[in-house]
Amino acid sequence: MSDLDKAISELRACKIIPEPQVREICHKARELLIEEANVVQVDAPVTICGDIHGQFHDLMELFRVGGDVPDTNYLFMGDFVDRGFYSLESFLLLLCLKVRYPDRITLIRGNHESRQITTVYGFYDECLRKYGSANVWRYCCEVFDYLALGALVLGTSSTLEPSFTDKSQAIEPVDDDVEIEIMNSRNEVTARFPRSRRRLFESDGLNSSPPGTPSKTGPSGTGATSDSGGSHHSGGAVLCVHGGLSPLIDSVDKIRLLDRKQEVPHEGAMCDLLWSDPDEIDSWGLSPRGAGFLFGPEIVKRFNHLNDLSLIARAHQLVMEGFKEMFDSSIVTVWSAPNYCYRCGNVAAILELGEDTSNGGVIARSNGDAGRSAQAFMPNLAPRSGPGRRYRVFEAAPQDPRGMPAKKPVADYFLRETNRTASGTTSDGMEVRFKVIGVGMGVTLGPFFGLAERQGYPISTYLARRSTPV
Amino acid sequence: MALIVPPSNEKKRVKVYELKNNDWFDRGTGFCTGRIINDESKIYVESEDSPERLLLETKITKDDGYQKQQDTLIVWTETSGIDMALSFQEAEGCATIWDFVSQVQQQLLSLGGPDDALSDDAMESFAKPLVLPQPEIGNLDDIEHAMRGIASTPQGRDALAKFVISEDYIRKLIPLVEMAEDLESLKDLHWLCNIMKMLILLNDSQIIDHIVNEEVVFGVIGALEYDPDFPNHKANHRRYLKDNSRYKEVLSIADPNITRKIHATWRLTYLKDVVLARILDDPTFGVLNSLIFFNQVDIISHLQNNPGYLEQLFGIIDNPTADIKRKRDAVGFIQSCCAIAKSLQVTPRATLYTNFINHGLLRVITFAILNKEASIRVAGTDILVAMIDHDPAMVRAYIYKAINEKKTPLTETLIELLLVEVDLGVKAQAADAIKVLLEPQPTQPPQQQPQSQPQQQPPQAQSQEAIARQTGEFLSKVRGVDPLLNPQTESFIQHFYDNSASKLFQPLKDLEKRETLNDITFHEVQLFNHLVEIIIYLSRTHQFRSKYYIFSEDISSRIAQLLSAPQKHLKLTALKFFRQCIGLQDEYYNRQIMQKNHFAPILNIVYETMPRDNLLNSACLELFEYIKRENIKQLIEHLVETFRSKLQEITYVDTFESLLNRYEQMQGFNPDADTTLFSNDSTSTPNRTPNVNGNQRWQGVKEMDAVEEAYFNTSDDEDEPLPKAVLSKAAKMNGVTTSPMLKSLVDYPDDDEDSMDTTPPEPEELGTKPELEPSPMLQTPPPERLSEKRRREEDNDEDELGKLSSTKRRNSGSSASNTGSAAGHNTLKRKKGFKNDRDSPTNGPSAKKIEISLSAKKAVSEAGSKGDDGG
Repeated sequence: MSDLDKAISELRACKIIPEPQVREICHKARELLIEEANVVQVDAPVTICGDIHGQFHDLMELFRVGGDVPDTNYLFMGDFVDRGFYSLESFLLLLCLKVRYPDRITLIRGNHESRQITTVYGFYDECLRKYGSANVWRYCCEVFDYLALGALVLGTSSTLEPSFTDKSQAIEPVDDDVEIEIMNSRNEVTARFPRSRRRLFESDGLNSSPPGTPSKTGPSGTGATSDSGGSHHSGGAVLCVHGGLSPLIDSVDKIRLLDRKQEVPHEGAMCDLLWSDPDEIDSWGLSPRGAGFLFGPEIVKRFNHLNDLSLIARAHQLVMEGFKEMFDSSIVTVWSAPNYCYRCGNVAAILELGEDTSNGGVIARSNGDAGRSAQAFMPNLAPRSGPGRRYRVFEAAPQDPRGMPAKKPVADYFLRETNRTASGTTSDGMEVRFKVIGVGMGVTLGPFFGLAERQGYPISTYLARRSTPV
Repeated sequence: MALIVPPSNEKKRVKVYELKNNDWFDRGTGFCTGRIINDESKIYVESEDSPERLLLETKITKDDGYQKQQDTLIVWTETSGIDMALSFQEAEGCATIWDFVSQVQQQLLSLGGPDDALSDDAMESFAKPLVLPQPEIGNLDDIEHAMRGIASTPQGRDALAKFVISEDYIRKLIPLVEMAEDLESLKDLHWLCNIMKMLILLNDSQIIDHIVNEEVVFGVIGALEYDPDFPNHKANHRRYLKDNSRYKEVLSIADPNITRKIHATWRLTYLKDVVLARILDDPTFGVLNSLIFFNQVDIISHLQNNPGYLEQLFGIIDNPTADIKRKRDAVGFIQSCCAIAKSLQVTPRATLYTNFINHGLLRVITFAILNKEASIRVAGTDILVAMIDHDPAMVRAYIYKAINEKKTPLTETLIELLLVEVDLGVKAQAADAIKVLLEPQPTQPPQQQPQSQPQQQPPQAQSQEAIARQTGEFLSKVRGVDPLLNPQTESFIQHFYDNSASKLFQPLKDLEKRETLNDITFHEVQLFNHLVEIIIYLSRTHQFRSKYYIFSEDISSRIAQLLSAPQKHLKLTALKFFRQCIGLQDEYYNRQIMQKNHFAPILNIVYETMPRDNLLNSACLELFEYIKRENIKQLIEHLVETFRSKLQEITYVDTFESLLNRYEQMQGFNPDADTTLFSNDSTSTPNRTPNVNGNQRWQGVKEMDAVEEAYFNTSDDEDEPLPKAVLSKAAKMNGVTTSPMLKSLVDYPDDDEDSMDTTPPEPEELGTKPELEPSPMLQTPPPERLSEKRRREEDNDEDELGKLSSTKRRNSGSSASNTGSAAGHNTLKRKKGFKNDRDSPTNGPSAKKIEISLSAKKAVSEAGSKGDDGG
């Protein structure tokens, strides 16, 4: 068993690994991540996950429900750390898996993957408790700077493959019309939603299906594969990003021109991608978080149309049902931390996108559709047919098998433990109640500015805040 | 009751909800009335379908937590504990019933006495005065139940807290824990656990202070080991807290009261972080924190006022015969004190440091950071960084003094540490400490910043810095020194460049002799990373001195060598340096880059990485995009004239093609136009554009002072310096800001570009000009200036509640309309959570929403009742 595999099995048992090994893993991860694009291309099939927030046991539950790595491909949309009590174990496990199976797991950056935010919301504190120094926190923050900003899922299918099922259950074929399927953690289908009639009608018209097969095109894919948009098999490209869109980014490719290796700035394109939220407004609005923007349905639909995307998947906001599709299913919020902060009472979800095999497994590298232009866009134009989406909804891990979730106490004391953020972590668990249950929002950048100026933060956070590169 | 007028009995259409298993269950739709019958005020809802059937009959009591939400919702808890909600069709009807409820409640309150809420069977036994059942093992069920009832009202909580203290109730409960453990009665232990939790969450500082006392703490914590939420588990809190070896007493503390406080503080932190971590609410968290804080203030002040204590403590380090373990503990103790000091207020913190320094803190730091043992070095840097964090000017003053006294200054020690340290954490901290020590005082007060550069520092950054400086300024005032006129810092920095810099950057300079970097070691890579980052920092913070140094030592050529290191992250750091230089838009850096041909290795990286889409490649593209966007003519000319064919070959992005085009345009029009026509606005224009990555330039381009100019002019044998790059308006009209088009991911039609070119350059008025010219689709400006956004953010402390409620409203609005659109679209209609509102559009709030609002309401009322004791 290699050292890495050993580390993985230690971490799976929720044990921390020695500092030198953390350093080594972080350095290996850095070598891998530096080769990744700002927007990583990921091929379907893939399972998309939202915020984890250090809820280690729920991450284990996620793997149980969604399948283990490397059997299932995963894409995590950031916010691995803070708030929960096991940020370190959760993030390091994901990082180890990334190093071990680079093509099987994709990690992108969330707004919590930042020096400034982690000093306020718990991760810094946790590293200090568990290792007695901030070194591990530093290694992790360095890795944060290398994480990709988004991912583009290609080669999705518009139909759903049957889910892997219990032996006792007969495998039930999924009707081609099913666009959305919801399953519970026992692998039972709880709901199915067909594609809307309008879409079916349109695609029938386009495909001129032979009589006798009025609404279904067989899996052999006769005739439907070549025309984009109306294709019955390609589910189109899905952009995954932690927060949302930016007024400075009108095309996916513009994200490529950012130098992402830096602390998450307080404004600008990179900041917006990690901080923005969709909202029922016209065009753009100010975000109550103090960073990023709010964006409305028009913005999303235009962006999807211009970039030939069928869907944007994002995380960043607690949704009690685990996932929430908005704006005629042009954007979805996926949230993967059940019973957030051990008290919110929400369920979590992951989103499975199947692989389009109709082209003999060949994936069109481009999500492009020449001929599209801003002028041609009409707001009421039918959106691109979305990929088949299977949401697996799950609840918090039944019980922490090793006891009650709690922070690790500090080992020794002279006067007291060296908990540096005694005042800073005020926001840790509690503020959550306000921010999350109350407003439906997670962290805000606002309170940080107030808190950060108190003493008690690591100096590198101070420098990160002050040394804003040109 | 005569005072209350029952509402006119025109019927109000409502929906009745009941909370079952966390879901709002629809009891039906009917008509609501409020009536007074036999001196009891009640709310009735008659079923719409069969008027004789009552959907609801509830008596209004003094405090069942009635809440009105939005305009059409009343939510409360029945005495049976069931949560109920009435959702009205009309806001008017809701208001009428709400008035009725309020009036009845006021009346009930003014009557005083044992109130109706307590007339419930379970609570009858302690009507008044409040009495809990005897603390006996058979009564635990009743005690828990009774407490739960009483604690549901604020008055009840107060009374309960008083009762518990006056009766010394907790002490009486303690023996029961052991008894229940002997009996192995898990049920009793669970009740005890719940009782203790409730007592703690009463949020009474006297109670909390009491439970961490030696005599009761293990009983309380013992009970808390049996959490009914985890019935199959038992925690080991007692064993942990009883382990006395965890307490390290370096020097015995004579005062038993202080020793008690030290232990109490330790237990409080344990309670806060471990035992109660999951269940703490904000007010209790605040009480715990303030108890910890006040204990610490007492402890720290005791240490300083206890004669001889500090002498003894620091004496341990100076004593050559003391063993290393004892010294390590002493350093750890001092580290602990400094850590505590961070949460103290400025004045006591300053006193502590002054006291410590007078007793030899700097010696301790030097001892620690040069120690063989890594753990001691870590502690030493920690203390140092804490001290610098507290007041850099103070540390500088001591270093300055050491310099004058010809002693080894701390900076030298730090540099030594950075160069040889193998522990990467200590190394990083040393590098950080050097940066902060070298941070200059503000050279000019913010209000003197030129008007023409409004974007140079966003208001938000200013305010941050202002706050950050407050501490420092305050301390300076205490010492009677104006921070803006601090010659010490200046000479300190000068001394650094004259004496220390050569030592610090020697490893970089040694690169000159090195032919290849293929044999570069792990530690060298780490070191170079830190050194280049320090250089970047210096070039940004003290431009004049660092520029002189960088030029005279030819640092940029050494860093250019690192561009060919095999380690990609090192390349990236080196690249950052050049990006920084170009970003300064400084004539001399540009000249240096051109003369030394530094673009060659950068273009090599582009060639090595293209067309792969990776971080290094993106960072290069960003650099060239910046030159293009800022239209830095000097560099464009140089690039095209030197590397024309190389640029032509890079076709996977259009960045380089547009650089070539830009050059042609420059030649085609009037090559001299810019130098003659636009040189006047050269100081103001470049700074207006914020960076694509969102960061503002540190200090913008500073005017050269006379000395600087003299130096550079004499050392320069070329012609007149070219003016700084100009963002030519003419060029802009010609589409120079056209956004780059990549070809790899998306095929964009050509006509997009045209539409972008015609975009009028209006975003300037937004406060931040998007550097990527917005396409029509994104043109809609954000509704407010960014500066205003930041201002709002600063206000945010005072109107947290307002924000909460307003966002709540907005949220519910969005989910309501969302429901509408989902229903219209037919896809999500059946989704859980939407099912309740299918036939009553006026009852907009869906089931889930009520629940959310309910929690918000609770959070708000909690916050409201406790004010700001977050401490």
